[in-house]
Amino acid sequence: MSVFIASLGFALVSSAVLAVAGVGFTLQFGVTDVMNLAYGAVLILGAYVTYVLSQHGVNVWLGLVAAGVVGAVISVAINSYILTPFLKRKTSHIGMVIVTLAVGLVIANVLLAFAGPNGVALNADQGATLRWGDIDLTVLQVEIIGLSIVLMIGIALMLTYTRLGKAMRATAANPTLARNCGVRTSRVITLTWLISGGLCGVAGAVFAMNVGAFTPASAGTFLVVVLAASIVGGVGRPYGAMAGALLIGFSTEITAAILAPEYKYVVAFALLFIAMATRPQGLFVRSSA
Amino acid sequence: MNGWIYYATTLLVYAGVDILACLGLSMQFGISGVVNFGFILYQAAGAYVAAVLSLPPSSSNGGFQRYIGGFNLPFPLPWIGAAIIGGLLAIPLGAVVGRKLRPDYAAIAMLVVAIMANTVITNFEPIFNGAAGVALVPQPLSETFDPNTEAYQWAYGIAAVLVAVLIYFVVRRITESPYGRSLRAMRDNGDAAAAVGKHVRSMRTAMLVVGGAIAALSGAVLVGFITLWAPGAWTYPETIVLFAAIIVGGLGNHKGAILGALLVPLAFEEATRFIPAFGPPGLVPAMEWICIGLLILVFLWFRPQGVLPERKRLGANGGKGKTPILQSPEPAAEAS
Repeated sequence: MSVFIASLGFALVSSAVLAVAGVGFTLQFGVTDVMNLAYGAVLILGAYVTYVLSQHGVNVWLGLVAAGVVGAVISVAINSYILTPFLKRKTSHIGMVIVTLAVGLVIANVLLAFAGPNGVALNADQGATLRWGDIDLTVLQVEIIGLSIVLMIGIALMLTYTRLGKAMRATAANPTLARNCGVRTSRVITLTWLISGGLCGVAGAVFAMNVGAFTPASAGTFLVVVLAASIVGGVGRPYGAMAGALLIGFSTEITAAILAPEYKYVVAFALLFIAMATRPQGLFVRSSA
Repeated sequence: MNGWIYYATTLLVYAGVDILACLGLSMQFGISGVVNFGFILYQAAGAYVAAVLSLPPSSSNGGFQRYIGGFNLPFPLPWIGAAIIGGLLAIPLGAVVGRKLRPDYAAIAMLVVAIMANTVITNFEPIFNGAAGVALVPQPLSETFDPNTEAYQWAYGIAAVLVAVLIYFVVRRITESPYGRSLRAMRDNGDAAAAVGKHVRSMRTAMLVVGGAIAALSGAVLVGFITLWAPGAWTYPETIVLFAAIIVGGLGNHKGAILGALLVPLAFEEATRFIPAFGPPGLVPAMEWICIGLLILVFLWFRPQGVLPERKRLGANGGKGKTPILQSPEPAAEAS
C-alpha cells in the first residue's frame, strides 16, 4: 500500500508535465483543425535546448524560457511556411497529418544528427526532499507542479476573459462565422501556434527536468502519451486535456509502481485506444464533438 | 559464397518484400482511402508468426530464446499461416476504423496500436523473445536443400519476386472488378457510396484484412530469408517509408505502388548504403530519415499524384484528375 501512496507523488509530477504538453497540443488542434504530429519532435527540441544551455552553465529556469521561445518560433515557422501553404491548396485532414508527420520526422532527425543517438540527462538540482505522509517530492518537482498549475490557470483566464481567448474559441467553433464577424482568423491562428508552441517548448523543458535520460527517439513515445491525454479528454478541449493529463499521469505512474515500469506506457496506449474506440468525442464530453 | 551474388539475391528478396508491402498499403490507402499508420504492425506479425510456425519448440537450441509456439511446420504452411493471422488481426481494428471516425483520428488510432504493440513485444519476453527478437528461423525447405548455396539464394530471390507478381495480379483482379469501383467510390465520397447502398463499413474492414494479409505475407517472405526478427525492425517510422513509397510512385494505382517500392525503400536505401560513414555515429541514418521526410513534403507539394498518376476515370476523382485522398472536397473557405 505504501508503494501505491508513494507513487502518487510521481503521478502528480507526471500529470503536471503532461498537462502543459496536452493543453498546447489540444489548443493547436482545436483552433487550427490540424492534428500536428510534429509536436513530439518540437517538444524534444525544447528538452535539448534546456539541456544544452544547462551544460553551458545557464540556470534551468532560464533554459525553460529559452525552450519556450524556441518552441514558439519553430511552431509559427512550421505553420507559416509549411502548413498554411498546404491548407491553401485544400489539403485534406489526412494529407495534413502526413505533412506534419514528415515535418516531425525531419525535425527529430536533424536533432539526431546534431545530438547523436545516446541519451542525455539534465541533472538539474533537485533541491531538498519534502515529505508529506508517504509521499516524497523534491523542491524541483514541487516547482514543476506549481508552474504547471500557474500555466493552466493562465490559459483558462486567457480563454475566458481576453479578446484573444474569445477569438480563439470563436475560430475553433466555426472559422467562417468567426471571420464574418470580424475576427482576423489568420492572425488568431498564428498567435495560437505561438502560444501552443511556447507551451510545447516549456513542456519539453519540464520533461527534461523530470525524467532521467532522454534521446531524440523519445519524441515518438512521448507524443503518443500527449495524444492519449488530449484525446481521452476530448481533442480541442483544453479543460478536457487537463483532466486527461491527470487520468493518464496517475494511471501510468500507479501501473509503474504496482506492475512494472515497462508497462506504464502500455496502460496509456490502452486507455487511448479504448477511448477512441468507444468515445471518440472524449470521455468528459456529453454531446458528440 | 561470392559477395556480389549474395548482394544481388538479397536485393531481389527485398524488392519482392517491398513490392508486396506497398501493394498491401496501396489497396488500403491508394485505392480505398483507408488510412493505416500501423501498417508495419502487420508485416511484423507476419514475420513473427512465420518464425514461430517454422521454429522448433523453444526448449530446443538449449532454450537460449523464448517464444510461444514453435510448431516446426514444413515450408508453405508458415507463409500461409502468417497471411491468415495477418488478415485476422485486422478484424478487431476494423471495429475502430469502421466506425465513423474522422480519418485522421483513425490514422492516429492505428499509429498508437503499432507503437503499443512494439512496446509490449519489446518488454514482455515470453511472447517473441523481447528486444533481442527471434533468431535462427529455419529457411524454407532447408531440410531438402542447403540454404548456403548460390542456387538456393537465387531461387529464394526469384520466388520472392514471383510471390509479388502473383499478389499484383490478385489485387489487380480486385480493383478492376465492380467491387474495385465501389472501393474507389468509397474513397472519393464515402457518404455518396453509402447512399447508393454500398456497405462502407464492411468494405473498410475487408480492405484492412486484405492489406493486412499481404503485409503479413511480406513479413513471412522477409523472415525466411534474413532468419531473424526483432522489435527494432518494425518501429513506426518504417510505416512512413512505405507511405512515402506509394505517394512517390503514385496513389490509386498498383503500378505506381510497385514503382514506389522500387524507388524509395529499395533504390533510395540501397544508394545510401554506398555513402561512406562520416561525422559522428548515427549521422548517415539521420540524414536518410530527413530525406524521407523531405521527399514526402516535396512530392505532396509539387506532384501529389506521384510519378505514375492514377488513370482518369469518368466521374471519379471529381473528374479533374485530382488526388482525392489528399485534397478535401469542401470549398476553400473552410480550409484557411
